[in-house]
Amino acid sequence: MRLIALRLLVASSLLLGNAAAATRPHYGGNLRVMMSASGSLDPVELSGTVGGGNIARLLFDTLTTTDDRGITQAGLATSWQSDPENRNWQFSLRPGVGFSDGSPLTPESVAASLRTVNPTWHVAAGSDSVAIQVDPLNVDLPAVLALVRNSIVRREGGKLAGTGPFTVGEWLPGKRLALTAREDYWNGRAFLSSMDIDLGGNSQAVDFGRHHVVEITPEQARRVAGSRVSAPSELLALVFARTPASAMEGRLRGALSSSIDRKVIAEVILQSGAEPARGLLPGWLTGYDFLFSTDTNLASARQAVAETKQKPAWSLGYDANDPLARLVSERIALNASDAGIRLLPTPRADSDVRLVRLSLASLDPHIAIESWAASIGLVPPKFAGGSSEELYAAERVLLQTQQVIPLVHVKAAVAVAGVVNGWSNSRSGDWHLVDVWLGVEKP
Amino acid sequence: MSFRRKLLLAFALTVVLSVITVAWIASVVTRRAFEQADNERSAALVAQFRHEFARRGQEVARRVHNIAGGETATRMAAAAANSPRDYGAFVNDAKTIAEEQQLDFLEFVDGDGTILSSAQWPAKFGYKESNLSPSITQETVLRKQEAPEGTVLGLCATDQVANGSSPIFVIGGQRLDKDFLASLELPAGMRVMFYQNLESQLSSKLLLDPSGSLQDPAQLTTLINHARAQKQDVAEIVHWSGDAAEDETVHAIPLSGDDNHVLGILLAGTSRRPYVELLRRIRSGALLAAAAGLVFATLFSSWVGARVTRPVVRLAEAAREVAAGNWYAQAEVTSSDELGELSEAFNRMTRDLAEQRERLVKTERIAAWRELARRLAHELKNPLFPLQLTVENLLRARQQSPEQFEEIFQESSATLLAEIANLKAVVARFSDFARMPQPQLQSLDLNELVRNATRLFQAQFQSASHGAIECKLDLDEALGQIEGDPELLHRALSNLLLNAMDAMTQGGTLTVATRKDHKQVVLSVSDTGVGMTEEECAQLFTPYYTSKMHGTGLGLAIVQSVINDHHGRVSVTSKRGAGSTFVIELPRTAQQAQTISHWKGFS
Repeated sequence: MRLIALRLLVASSLLLGNAAAATRPHYGGNLRVMMSASGSLDPVELSGTVGGGNIARLLFDTLTTTDDRGITQAGLATSWQSDPENRNWQFSLRPGVGFSDGSPLTPESVAASLRTVNPTWHVAAGSDSVAIQVDPLNVDLPAVLALVRNSIVRREGGKLAGTGPFTVGEWLPGKRLALTAREDYWNGRAFLSSMDIDLGGNSQAVDFGRHHVVEITPEQARRVAGSRVSAPSELLALVFARTPASAMEGRLRGALSSSIDRKVIAEVILQSGAEPARGLLPGWLTGYDFLFSTDTNLASARQAVAETKQKPAWSLGYDANDPLARLVSERIALNASDAGIRLLPTPRADSDVRLVRLSLASLDPHIAIESWAASIGLVPPKFAGGSSEELYAAERVLLQTQQVIPLVHVKAAVAVAGVVNGWSNSRSGDWHLVDVWLGVEKP
Repeated sequence: MSFRRKLLLAFALTVVLSVITVAWIASVVTRRAFEQADNERSAALVAQFRHEFARRGQEVARRVHNIAGGETATRMAAAAANSPRDYGAFVNDAKTIAEEQQLDFLEFVDGDGTILSSAQWPAKFGYKESNLSPSITQETVLRKQEAPEGTVLGLCATDQVANGSSPIFVIGGQRLDKDFLASLELPAGMRVMFYQNLESQLSSKLLLDPSGSLQDPAQLTTLINHARAQKQDVAEIVHWSGDAAEDETVHAIPLSGDDNHVLGILLAGTSRRPYVELLRRIRSGALLAAAAGLVFATLFSSWVGARVTRPVVRLAEAAREVAAGNWYAQAEVTSSDELGELSEAFNRMTRDLAEQRERLVKTERIAAWRELARRLAHELKNPLFPLQLTVENLLRARQQSPEQFEEIFQESSATLLAEIANLKAVVARFSDFARMPQPQLQSLDLNELVRNATRLFQAQFQSASHGAIECKLDLDEALGQIEGDPELLHRALSNLLLNAMDAMTQGGTLTVATRKDHKQVVLSVSDTGVGMTEEECAQLFTPYYTSKMHGTGLGLAIVQSVINDHHGRVSVTSKRGAGSTFVIELPRTAQQAQTISHWKGFS
């Protein structure tokens, strides 16, 4: 498919002549990128953040992929089938695929990779396929296999090898990652010859003279030229460490939710880099978020606190390495104080309630909400099918536990220099760096 | 205690007291001088600290002023006037600028006190500034600042950003915390602490120290309370431990906010270690000097005492020799000072005494010879005159009456023989006195001796030559035996009885009594005669002295001689017209007599 597109591009370029030569895709070039720090190249570790997923997709492939519409597409698996109960699955592997260390992709290597990440699965290697038996049943295992954490990895002597479009040239954990394009990539060589990724640099000052692509915070996007933002997909939420001890505490948690001015958080603190969250999943993904209400109602919050005749005092934990999290926590504490609730922001982990960031693991809302529920310690919902009603009911149940209070959905932001062509990203903010090529830099 | 030891002690005490006095005076003077210097040093340090504090305040004010005049503040003031207000346009500006200007606090506040942007509490935009003073000045003052962790104190300045009728205010400052204290450029030997007066009750957790921990915050409680109550500088010496070198002079400087409420108390402490160590060195030196002085005083006073007391000792020895009878004793003169003069005076005195004694002996000897000559002449003249008359009578009778010559011759011969016998008797008495024998001691009964003697004179008591004399014996029958020479004692007693009879020319009562007195016996002979004057009593035992018209003056001298030979004592008490009493004290035995003799030698 990419080869066909390339031929079309070459043909059109010939037709348009030299005038369009500057915008013609071409191979070569070193893309310099700055993004958030990462201390590991293991997909399991990288799957927690948007930036980590972007790195993982450069080095590894999954059996399936999810397009922007949330529809599962083929990846390393060319086709799949299951029994009527969706318990036993068989995935046919793409032939001629090799790992970056030169070894071929085999059913055994795929099975070994999946077993490592999913120890409860029963994965068996066939001649050109793998069979997976899941318990409990999973109606959408192909979508699950599209998650970054399920990337196919060959682990040999502590070294990782993937089948992705790039291979690791140099790796300084947390500092620098140099990648080289693989000529033998099964989906066609990337336009870029190499990539140089600075990890953990100061993204506050975007310098396109040094970097072509800079991962920025959403509040920076407002002031940085050439910034691209995704749809609001990352959930910023308050998560309580335990279920409410009483109905009164449940009311107080509701009062806390009502006291929070989400609009100020989204528009002022995050500089419009987020949108107030009504539910857990963003509205653009589910279409039913209007059914939930998280509007600020300080009067009702005060009344609820007054009626409980308690002076609640909770510690609010946040990530000490995340200045935005601290700022949001302090603002929430101020809002809560207006309602008579005492929240003490603290970087300590053993807090009563924590401010968490939940990145959208999949564009499949069922998969995404399952992933979030599991990550915050709630019982993941089970879906018999893929209907929106079922999804809404599951999300409603999660919210009614009063263990999670959605705040805002944060957009992913990136600053892209003008010389970077062919830039695109998914609605959830995933970068499509394979399609990027570098134009001529203007002096 | 000898004079030398007294002198040694006096010297030692004088030296030690002198050293102690000097050390004490030096210590007091040094302490006062150092305390004055310490106070001046502390004052200088505090002044330097105040200067540093003021400089930091001015620095804060300058930075705030720069911020207020900067582009960001101007833009913010313009944006703040828009409605609706877009806090997102400047929510992070305060923090960014504060980091650039190295300020801990920075807030942009509109005229209503609404926070536009806050560095110390970025999330507080849109809220009211609770501690905004109604009168905003550009002075640097101590202010309470609200922060997420609670109320804190800062050294703050306020400036205004003009924007037509809607100015905004810039409040910036530095937090008064341990980092601020640590950043102060303090003089050596000084440290600074800070008490945040944020609560009504004193709390040690509000006390800041650059090192992060204070040894014992409770030690400062009194000082902080005084400063809080008096609202003026207070200084106090704080004892951190039992070691005085750990003490500090702490100046408490109350710092008030713009409402004159004491918000904080700066505690500037200066170590007293240099002073204490100096004082200790002085004390050690004084003790060392005292010890050395004591040793020196002992040695020196021994030497001086020996030099000073040697002449005195010699003088004392010479005096003892004189007392022992050596009238020619001389003290050695070794110096020309007062002691030398004293020795010379002593020597002159002994020489004079010896000369006077010799003269006195010669005079007494001459007087005795004269008295003896007088007595002899008197005793001899009495018989010579009848002899002369008798011889002349014989010669006249032969020439004028030869017929009666034979008769006259017979009578005259008898007279001549009688007078010659008197002359012989006189000569014999003198001879007896000159040949007084040593007593032959033997055991005798004194009462019996008294009875025999009185019995011999019984006839004379009734003689018609004087009035009747009644003799009474008052003898102690339990007197017992004594050792003595019965013949000599009889002779002495006879003389006393004769004297008594001579004294009672008109008769009277003679009483002889004996009694025991400790280890001796006492014999007394009392008469009721004419008595004697004191002068007569004083010379009564002098040989050849007599108060009577007749007599040789040897009787009482013989009595005294006999009694002295018995190691006894004779004395007399008398009063003119009331009679006399002679008392003889005799030792009971010869051993006691020797003991008495020994003591007499000492006395």
